[in-house]
Amino acid sequence: MSKPTADWERVGDHFYRKTQIYTSVFDPDLELENYVVTGAPYSGAVALYRGEDKIYAYRSSQAVKPSVDIYSCAGKLIRQIPWDRGTIKAVGWSEDERLLVVTDDGTVRSYADLQGDFTPFTIGHGAEEHGVLSCKFWANGFVALLGNNSLVAVARYDEPRPQLLASAPPGEVVAWTVIPPEQTSSRSVEVLLAIGKTVYVVDAAECEDRGLEAGPFRHISSSPNGKFIALYTDDGKVWVIGSDFQERFSEYESKVKTPPKDLQWCGNNAVVMAWEDEIHLIGSNGAASKFFYESFVHLSPDIDGIRIITGDVCEFLQKVPDPSKDVFRLGSTEPAAVLLDAIDQLEKKSPKADDNIQLIRPNLDEAVDVCVRAAGQEYSIHWQKQLLKAASFGKSVLDLYNSDDFVDMTEALRVLNAVRFYEIGLPLSYEQYIRLTPERLVQRLVNRQEYLLALKISEYLHLPVDKIYVHWARQKVRSSRTDEDSICDEIVRKLKGKRGISFEEVAHAAYDEGRGKLATKLLEFEPRAGKQVPLLLNVGEESIALDKALESGDTDLVFYVLLSLKKKIPLSSFFRTINSRPVATAIVESSAIDQDQELLKDLYYQDDRRLEGSNLLLYEALSAPDIGPATDKLKMAAKLLRDSKEYAPQVAALEDAQKLLRFQEAFEKDLTERFVGLSVNETMSKLIKMGNLKRAAKVQTEFKVVDKTYWWVRLRALVSRRDWRELEELGKGRKSPIGWEPFFNDILGAGNTKLASLFIPKCTTLTVPERIEMWVKCGMVAKAGEEALKAKDRNALEELRAQASAGQQLELDRMIAQLQRGR
Amino acid sequence: MAAPPAAKAINTQDITVKARRDLLHLLEAVRGKKNLVIERSLAGTVGLFVKFSELQEYGVDKLFFLENHNVDSSQRNIIFLVRGEAAKKVRTVAEQIRLVRSESKIDHDFTIIWVPRRTLVSNLILEEHGVLGEANITELNLHFVPLEADLLSLGLEDSFSSLCLRKDPTPIFASAQALMRMQKQYGLFPRILGKGDNAKKLADLLQKMRSEEDVNASSDPSNTYLTSFGLTPSSIVENLIIIDREVDFPTTLATQLTYEGLLDEVFTISNNQTEVDTSVLGSAPVPQAQQQPEGRSDSSPAPAGATKRKVQLDSTDKLYPSIRDANFATIGPLLNQTARRLQSDQENIKSRDQSVKDLKLAFAKLPVYQAEQAALKIHTSLAEEVAKFTRSETFRRTLEVEQNLLIGSDPGTLHENIEELIARDTPLKTVLRLLCLESCLSNGIRQRELEHFKRMILQAYGYQHALTLANLEKMGLLVSREAHRGFLNPIAGAAGQTATDWNAVRRSLQLWVDDVQEVDPDDIAYVFSGYAPLSVRLVQCILQKSYLQTLINPPRPGQAAPPPAAAGTAGGWKSFEDTLARIRGATVDVIQKGSDADASNARRTLRGGKEGPKTSIVFFLGGITYAEVAALRLVNRELEKAQGGRTLIVCTTGVISGGRAVDVAVEKRSFGG
Repeated sequence: MSKPTADWERVGDHFYRKTQIYTSVFDPDLELENYVVTGAPYSGAVALYRGEDKIYAYRSSQAVKPSVDIYSCAGKLIRQIPWDRGTIKAVGWSEDERLLVVTDDGTVRSYADLQGDFTPFTIGHGAEEHGVLSCKFWANGFVALLGNNSLVAVARYDEPRPQLLASAPPGEVVAWTVIPPEQTSSRSVEVLLAIGKTVYVVDAAECEDRGLEAGPFRHISSSPNGKFIALYTDDGKVWVIGSDFQERFSEYESKVKTPPKDLQWCGNNAVVMAWEDEIHLIGSNGAASKFFYESFVHLSPDIDGIRIITGDVCEFLQKVPDPSKDVFRLGSTEPAAVLLDAIDQLEKKSPKADDNIQLIRPNLDEAVDVCVRAAGQEYSIHWQKQLLKAASFGKSVLDLYNSDDFVDMTEALRVLNAVRFYEIGLPLSYEQYIRLTPERLVQRLVNRQEYLLALKISEYLHLPVDKIYVHWARQKVRSSRTDEDSICDEIVRKLKGKRGISFEEVAHAAYDEGRGKLATKLLEFEPRAGKQVPLLLNVGEESIALDKALESGDTDLVFYVLLSLKKKIPLSSFFRTINSRPVATAIVESSAIDQDQELLKDLYYQDDRRLEGSNLLLYEALSAPDIGPATDKLKMAAKLLRDSKEYAPQVAALEDAQKLLRFQEAFEKDLTERFVGLSVNETMSKLIKMGNLKRAAKVQTEFKVVDKTYWWVRLRALVSRRDWRELEELGKGRKSPIGWEPFFNDILGAGNTKLASLFIPKCTTLTVPERIEMWVKCGMVAKAGEEALKAKDRNALEELRAQASAGQQLELDRMIAQLQRGR
Repeated sequence: MAAPPAAKAINTQDITVKARRDLLHLLEAVRGKKNLVIERSLAGTVGLFVKFSELQEYGVDKLFFLENHNVDSSQRNIIFLVRGEAAKKVRTVAEQIRLVRSESKIDHDFTIIWVPRRTLVSNLILEEHGVLGEANITELNLHFVPLEADLLSLGLEDSFSSLCLRKDPTPIFASAQALMRMQKQYGLFPRILGKGDNAKKLADLLQKMRSEEDVNASSDPSNTYLTSFGLTPSSIVENLIIIDREVDFPTTLATQLTYEGLLDEVFTISNNQTEVDTSVLGSAPVPQAQQQPEGRSDSSPAPAGATKRKVQLDSTDKLYPSIRDANFATIGPLLNQTARRLQSDQENIKSRDQSVKDLKLAFAKLPVYQAEQAALKIHTSLAEEVAKFTRSETFRRTLEVEQNLLIGSDPGTLHENIEELIARDTPLKTVLRLLCLESCLSNGIRQRELEHFKRMILQAYGYQHALTLANLEKMGLLVSREAHRGFLNPIAGAAGQTATDWNAVRRSLQLWVDDVQEVDPDDIAYVFSGYAPLSVRLVQCILQKSYLQTLINPPRPGQAAPPPAAAGTAGGWKSFEDTLARIRGATVDVIQKGSDADASNARRTLRGGKEGPKTSIVFFLGGITYAEVAALRLVNRELEKAQGGRTLIVCTTGVISGGRAVDVAVEKRSFGG
């Protein structure tokens, strides 16, 4: 077994290692130099397409069909996407391994799961006219550079919304890059454009010149953590500066005449420059190391290192992680290195093993930890085992040790080794695995249709498995050519009883394949009523969809179905559909009242709901600007109800309403005052206030207003008009249907005590004390006294005396005396 | 052992904090300055947890109301904050986006925040208007918002009209979603009890959602591991009691007689704020008023009603919490007491031999004292204004009719009073409330009498109110006795009574208490000075069985008090089934068990068999009145006294009053435009 340090390289103060992961990657006939190669983050798939500017070797036998090919890192072809439209300007990946292909007219196709299905969108903002020059991608978005130096950013793919960034100055963009929104202080994407001699920073709001002089910069690249920027200056130097352009950290002179083909970061500490078959690794402080290859080199940066892909090898170049350095560095005296040596000695059955342990006894727990972590960094299974053995040996000596990390690491390594296997081709580093999360790793496996491995890993790590089954079923539906019943049976047999399975997704896949019947069949197994609805609508099962929507209780869904239904089917059958479903009818009614009253009218007509229909006309009459149309509407409303006897009161009311309008119209003409809009009572009141008693009386008889009401209205109107004479006249009458007390109260309230007092004797139904009170309110204590005297109420008299003025007291004293005498 | 504070069980403050954080986060996501367009009804709700100044800190430049249609193009970013369920609002949003886009010279960035969720219909409408691709769409999961620590509201102002008038079950679904979220947080409600057809629907929906949650949880990419969240019953919440507003219309219609209730009747309170004429309070805002969130009034054109002043009515006020729930009859003395106490405090400060230490102490107390002084001033003025209203002739007569109806006297004798009220042009809503109250209590008014009243109303208030009357009939508030028999709620299930036998229920649940104590109340009847609201009595049927039983069959003197019925609510509706059968609507009683018995058992073992503080959630579907809130607070106090640590949390779709309930039906327009 070769030493792990064999492929280490010292660059400055740090060690870098280049791990060969796969060999004989691509078909030797594939001329990789003619392709643009883009790797997905976290050691994901690699997309190849033939660049426009690359020369085609003329081969008569082979017609050149453009395509985008997706390979695993091990060179296994996962999928070939034939390309038929437009010139590809950029291909990129998102964090969840979604492939994005951008053409020169700004059309973007987004392939979600490494399959051929895509969702298209366009970036707009003038991309059609000016054309897309290139794109830069980050974890979940990209920026496109257009021919007129406009920049368009797309920040999410589930609902892409291309956003135009601040405009950049004109001039040729020599090189450019983006800093993802998560890594900027403004939380919006920043674009660095090398134009002329300087670099511009553009974000959503503004464009700022950084005032550099050493341009034009051929290459510009930002580090994975967004803190540093590497620039390739015009005079062949590489600068590493802070992303705030404040400080320059290192400078390196390549002394090569031709500028490099590519410049990328390797982790956050080093920069890699690539020429056709040569790469330079530049560490901190300008230290560098060179590597040479036999064939053309492509770079694919990742968060903790860089993948180097050539026709025959796939390598991973990274800084040697600290635990590995501690354990393996030549002459290392770290406890972990001693512990690893101990295991060697143990295997040789040498007593030195124990000596080693005793030597590092104080730091043993730390040594165990380092060994465990170093194991995670190894690609060689041999060294993984060796390190874990060392850790295991070390922890057996310790009295107390928490083995969780150890167990987790062994689990992680089993998973990593499984997916690194060349047939799978996911050479994840431990750090990438942690950042990617096991869930998303499983998703990647599922996308590669490695269902068995995905299931095994999920079960091993206790992850939910429902999505794997659903994906499998969708794939089954897409690819299987057998008859629908047996597909359905097979799927249901496999998926039934598994928790949380979404049959709706499977059914959707079936529908997309044009298998409507299969879709309906599968939908029946979906437990969530609401989820079935959109698909049922699509397959044309409207009334089932409506029922399911109603069942879900979600009114939004019901309304949605109703709106689509209304568009699809004739009105009469629409009504028939909702007729038997009261909730649906209620929703139609409540929404139609604000926007579609004609629909409502038809609905009421069809259902023979006359009262509602008539009310709707009344509703419209109210909106009518003029009396004419209002009366017409009222007539129609009355006509609707006339045939039926049960609506007689409503008909009468509608007719009265018309009559009132007629009256009011006439009054307006005669009296030039506004009457329309008033009620019957208000009309009478207004007439009285204007002194038109006769007309008011006419209204009373015409509308059969009950006497009491009329008297009240008249009383209040006269009082407000201060028409004392007329009130006095009224008071001469013998009887009032509302009694005389209201007269007293209202007139008193208006301040006419004299007139009010006239009504006191007429209130014969009231008790004596009440009447006394009334007199007092009018300020007529003497009269009150007389009242009391009549009733022979001595106490009342005494009370009155107490509140009376001096003059009145005499009077009252006289009455008291009279009362005493009378006794 | 001191019972752990109930607040620990369900902390409604968390909701406020979360809602605030979520909203501000969404605002922050839009870079730079922005204009915020907000739906008017939502503005009040949002105002409960964010102040305008905070919005400004997050880059909000101007605030517009959606209904005003006056969005300008002064900022590049325009954010809409609107309820996504209402098609009408969605359409307005779409129209405004189109308008701004066509009129403005600059390129705008639109963001729409749908509350509480993005709906399919909203997508459809935006697409129809061709603006779906234009706007960045997000959602703010705003469900319950605390009005007080013990009162949560969904802030659905039109829930009553949706449910009763339009028979549109949207509020039921919204409630189910909100309660579902609560279950996710606190565990399944072990028992769901309820009364009313809509309550039944809500309970069914909750159970259905629970079974669907399994599938949802695992297909939601954001929580792959929390799948087993609420499959065990809650250890904090004991039960959910759903009261359907339709079960108890009379309580809604009756005039509330608590201080808060009357403030609502006179000035209307919305989102803990009321607007009062400056002539009542004086226009110069006392220093205290500036500390209050002085309205997040539109910063755009100057506030329309400059003569109105906003008053914050919640527990931040020094005085309000202690008087809000008192019967109005006792407010005068209460305010007097406070005034005297403050005066004596003041004299103490002045007269005492002033050592430096004393001064320091007095100085420290000064702000509190000033705040109290200001509160006292406000509430004295408010109470005077309310008293002006309660002393009026109309109020006296209305109340007389109302109380007679509630006692159960023959409504025929009261008709003359009502007729007089109509003839004297009393506000329409007052008259309608009385008629509806009669109709509800006696299951309809006799056809002939009803027609007579209808004619009088049409003549007195205008023929447009034929629509008002039709609406009331549709709501089941004002029907003829003959029609009532055949009256069927179109969305009601077949189960359950369709009418309540009020006379029987009044007796069996003691809905009328003759000698009610308004000071130091001992029974909920104090909130209506005699009438005990049925809705709260129903809650008592579950939570205070023994109390209710002693109330109904008072123990004869000498006889030992009956042994207290088993504490807790193990019985559900037990021993009141007969009464319930006489009340309209379905009865709900569901026990929710964890799907995994082992897990539930394990959980119980972990708790060590100790019963922690138990909370009952009372949910009013269709709205609650302040009087009922006051009554429930009384129940809560009694519960805490009797069985330490038990609490009530009151949840509702919105706050309602008789005026607002009737107003839903009233036709606002008149002839001639």
